[in-house]
Amino acid sequence: MCSRCRERCHRPRPPRPALGLALALSLPLALAGCEREARRLELPPSAPLAAPSKAGVLYPGPYASAPVRVTAADPVVRGQRVEENAYAVSQGKRWFRWFNCSGCHAGGGGGDMGPPLSDDRWLYGHELPQVVASILQGRPNGMPAFAGRVSEEQAWQLAAYVRSLSGQLRSDVAGGRSDAMGSGEPEQRREREVPRPDAAPPTVR
Amino acid sequence: MPSSFRATIAALTLCRASRFERRAGVETARGRPAHGIALLLTVAAVLSATVHGATGETRVPQASQAASAPADPADGGWPMATRDYANTRYSPLADITPANVATLKPAFSFRTGVKHGHEAAPLVAEGLMFVVTPFPNRLHALDLARPGAPPRWTFDPQPQPLARGVACCDGVNRGAAYDAGRVFITTLDTQVVAVEAQSGRELWRRRLGDISRGETITMAPLVVKGKVLVGNSGGEMGVRGWIAALDAASGRELWRAYSTGPDRDVLIGPSFRPYYAADRGTDLGEKTWPGEAWKTGGGNVWGFLAYDPQLDLLYHGTANPGPWNPEQRPGDNKWTSGVFARRPDTGEAVWFYQWSPHDLYDYDGVNENVLLDLPFDGRRRPVLVHPDRNGYVYVLDRASGQVLSADPFVRITTSTGVDLASGRLKYDPRTEPRAGQTVRNICPHSPGGKDWQPSAWSPRTGLLYIPHQNMCQDTRVYETSYIAGTPFVGAEVKMYTGPGGQRGRLTAWDPVSRRPAWSVEEPFPVWSGALATAGDVVFYGTMDGWFKAVDAKTGRALWRYKTASGIVGQPVSYRGPDGRQYVAVLAGVGGWAGAGVTHQLDARDPTAAKGFAAAMKDLPKPESLEGQLYVFALP
Amino acid sequence: MATRIRPLQRRPHARGPEPRTFAAAALAALVLGLLPLAAVAAPPFGAGSQDALRTGGPQAALILDLWRLLLAVCGVVFAAVMAAFGVALWRARRGTRDTPPELQGPLRGEPRSARLVAAATGASAVGLCGLIVASVLTDRALARLPLSNALHVELTAHQWWWQARYDDADPSRTFETANELHLPAGRPVLLTLHADDVIHSFWVPNLSGKKDLIPGRTATLALRADVPGRYRGQCAEFCGLQHAGMALEVVVEPDAAYAAWAERQRRPAEPPTDPQAQRGQRLFLAGTCAMCHAIQGTDAAARRAPDLTHLAGRARLAAGTVPNGRAQLAAWIADPAAFKPGTNMPGHRYAPEDLDALVAYLETLR
Repeated sequence: MCSRCRERCHRPRPPRPALGLALALSLPLALAGCEREARRLELPPSAPLAAPSKAGVLYPGPYASAPVRVTAADPVVRGQRVEENAYAVSQGKRWFRWFNCSGCHAGGGGGDMGPPLSDDRWLYGHELPQVVASILQGRPNGMPAFAGRVSEEQAWQLAAYVRSLSGQLRSDVAGGRSDAMGSGEPEQRREREVPRPDAAPPTVR
Repeated sequence: MPSSFRATIAALTLCRASRFERRAGVETARGRPAHGIALLLTVAAVLSATVHGATGETRVPQASQAASAPADPADGGWPMATRDYANTRYSPLADITPANVATLKPAFSFRTGVKHGHEAAPLVAEGLMFVVTPFPNRLHALDLARPGAPPRWTFDPQPQPLARGVACCDGVNRGAAYDAGRVFITTLDTQVVAVEAQSGRELWRRRLGDISRGETITMAPLVVKGKVLVGNSGGEMGVRGWIAALDAASGRELWRAYSTGPDRDVLIGPSFRPYYAADRGTDLGEKTWPGEAWKTGGGNVWGFLAYDPQLDLLYHGTANPGPWNPEQRPGDNKWTSGVFARRPDTGEAVWFYQWSPHDLYDYDGVNENVLLDLPFDGRRRPVLVHPDRNGYVYVLDRASGQVLSADPFVRITTSTGVDLASGRLKYDPRTEPRAGQTVRNICPHSPGGKDWQPSAWSPRTGLLYIPHQNMCQDTRVYETSYIAGTPFVGAEVKMYTGPGGQRGRLTAWDPVSRRPAWSVEEPFPVWSGALATAGDVVFYGTMDGWFKAVDAKTGRALWRYKTASGIVGQPVSYRGPDGRQYVAVLAGVGGWAGAGVTHQLDARDPTAAKGFAAAMKDLPKPESLEGQLYVFALP
Repeated sequence: MATRIRPLQRRPHARGPEPRTFAAAALAALVLGLLPLAAVAAPPFGAGSQDALRTGGPQAALILDLWRLLLAVCGVVFAAVMAAFGVALWRARRGTRDTPPELQGPLRGEPRSARLVAAATGASAVGLCGLIVASVLTDRALARLPLSNALHVELTAHQWWWQARYDDADPSRTFETANELHLPAGRPVLLTLHADDVIHSFWVPNLSGKKDLIPGRTATLALRADVPGRYRGQCAEFCGLQHAGMALEVVVEPDAAYAAWAERQRRPAEPPTDPQAQRGQRLFLAGTCAMCHAIQGTDAAARRAPDLTHLAGRARLAAGTVPNGRAQLAAWIADPAAFKPGTNMPGHRYAPEDLDALVAYLETLR
């Protein structure tokens, strides 16, 4: 090569620390996104939860033959935190329709036969394990017991989606605009409804 | 008017007159007030009235099945929600007239202590007023003879709270039924209970359905020839509809007729003579459905029942087919969204007409059938007049089931008319729901041109007073799974105001000339029943709490009163023990239209309460969510 | 100093391969690569059950004819272009070391070349027009399949299975099945195509071309299967994790066999008599199965997963992913994600006797 060329082409470039820094910083962000998008599709199946005694019928109320043990902490369910995983929440949205939850609670959680899920009133607790318990055990004023009718993973995914209806989840995890006719704001754009502290379940009698 | 009452009135008038004179300081010619004599007369009159009343209205259960007393309560009572078997809701009392109704004042009231929609009609019989509340369906008997009408007894059937979770449209109850000294109520958890009218003692109870499958009962029963007729609810939960007859004395089930399935279940036999060809055939309740879809096919019987003693025919409607998504159930879906005429003794069907074959919009066929004799083509014919959910006022020959006329009383985009030759509703394909697509401008909306709220007839004006709504909707249907105990709907609905901008209307319909005589517009759907009186006053209530009286001939507003909660109940009128005419209505907003308020739903979701919550976002929150009975009288 | 633009010319030894050699090698590779196609264009190659070249009906035959014409014309054009390319490279005038760079390589066109190019362009245009005409004629022929006495099937594609509803003028004679279509030979079939969630595409190459199933839209496809046999179809529009695991089996059989199959499909499932199967039915209805699957004749009437009323009569499970058999069925139910990762069907760690009972029940569903 010509020396002049060499000069032009191989002129020493000034050091670019900013670029390296940017790369170094963006790497953890990218990795964090991995968790949001991770789809652990090949996990081994869980044990079936105890089913209500009468075959084929969803008995409303606390009929689950074995109580569902839930802890207060946000559990790591089968390797992933459901509330940080967009796939889990979107599966929960799928179950919400498939299992007719939207029939009683309306497509966007506004309520109908069942109470609204998108507001700040929680009758039986707003924490994720408490919502799972409500789904699996049923509740006295007509919420059916789904223990044994849905898998454990489905119940956690459902509960995470239910919480997203009142804006409890991060906007990058909660669902986007539905293809349905229109059930209000997309979950990811809902403002967080701070759960009211003193909401109590309606008295049975 | 019975002599005893005349005597009472005379005595009371004297009594009142003497009191007035005393207050005014005026004395009689003899120098002392005449109230002593008035008092004597009053006591005598009251005593005679009581004795007369005791024998005139049977206080012991009747052994015979003579259908005399409930058929035409000329004594000014209100023994069944519809007042009479013909469903006229016409009170022969004429004290309240357009001239004096403006002076109507509350006479007494009663708080039920229960929240949610109070859709019941207060019944009046044997000097008691019977009020059924929504869940927990308490039955109160108010002693009308005592001042302030305090409750004499309360019966608490203690239904299961689990039933609340499967009631589609609020845990309402549309009233009790009185017959021969007994009062019959239905409960949300599918029980029928008979109690003794005077004491409230439970006589028998029967459970007729299974709430774990989503079955409930909300309707007001009818007692015909010693049989208590009840039907179930739950079409939105995939519950198969039926009507059953229980023996009034023992509660034993005598017969049950389903609304779908083989002929032996529907009680279709050799007596069945439907007018139109489409309704003739064997086992149409199976053949007009795919596979076994009829088992979850709806057709519930939750509306008001009517009975014609001359023809010995019981008339009842059947509700919508399940699910709402029509693509899952191709075929005519018999015997849903139609009207049956049956023999009350055996339940066997005599004829059937389907208002909305293969219903596409949740147009239940359970609205009231008002039995009238009207001139048609030059001669008087026994007809039934029926304002349907699909937006037409039908006039049917009630002996044969032939459609004589069907005319729209609201704006309709879902159909273009009824073909009188074949009897078939002609759907407009442009508004047909399709899976995955949003179909807009569906008028009337799913609650129909008129929902359950019953109309009233006045033989004096010849008008049917129809309380109803004027609303449209967008619908999107989708595949839905049947999972027992969960909703089986498959449709999302967004409702909004219809043309003209007002959501409610009271229309006075002339069934002979087949058009409205007048109509009054209301900002909210008129979800209460209507009451017509011989004084030419029509009463109705609004969802924002106004109890209104209008002129029966012109619709001119005459009087209104603001109650503590929206009114979705059925107004009644009766003659009290003191001989005065009273008008009573339950206030307590709820029902499907009021679910947004009473269940505190989130109206940001336009599909909440199947579309009603957002459409009624502006309904003002009532002073009190609890129900209250209001009884009015002239001062 | 005056700068002379020195060409960036490589020295002879660093020039790279001879253009002629390069051209020759490229042509050889292309021709060799195309040879298999030529073989394939010949009549039936092997026993292809998912094979557009082995037609089972008139629609596929029309498309194959058009395809062959396209191949022929385009093949000729391609060969001519390659030949011209080769000639051009071979006969290109090369410069010497001293030729200026802009004059190196193939030089300007000659009048003879210009006429040649014009002629070739004209021929190609004529050829293309001919192909357009052929295509239009084929489309017309495809649309004119006589549809008298057509069988109506409503096909709804889900992630990742096919739902088929056989319609009938008498609604009580409609029935549903999944993933395996049976068609009568020689009778036209009108498919109404829906999609439940995302865009899928129906493609049974032996019988017809592709047709997309788009959510919110209804498409129709008419076809007729004349040759009895088993054909494999495939979802042809990427639809998610298991797009590749969404096969559709089409069984074409004579009228009588088809009618017998259809009658069997219309019957609801018989209640099981064997106690183990009865236990399996109880497990089915009380567990998660009935939340998504339907079995006519029982309370299970959910619609989110294939209708299982006649599961045991199908050749394969899970939209062609798993062969149907007792052991495979058990393995599939216990852990669907092992076969179809991403499937919506949950797996369960059933107790062995429970799994056996469940499978025993499902095997009664003929």
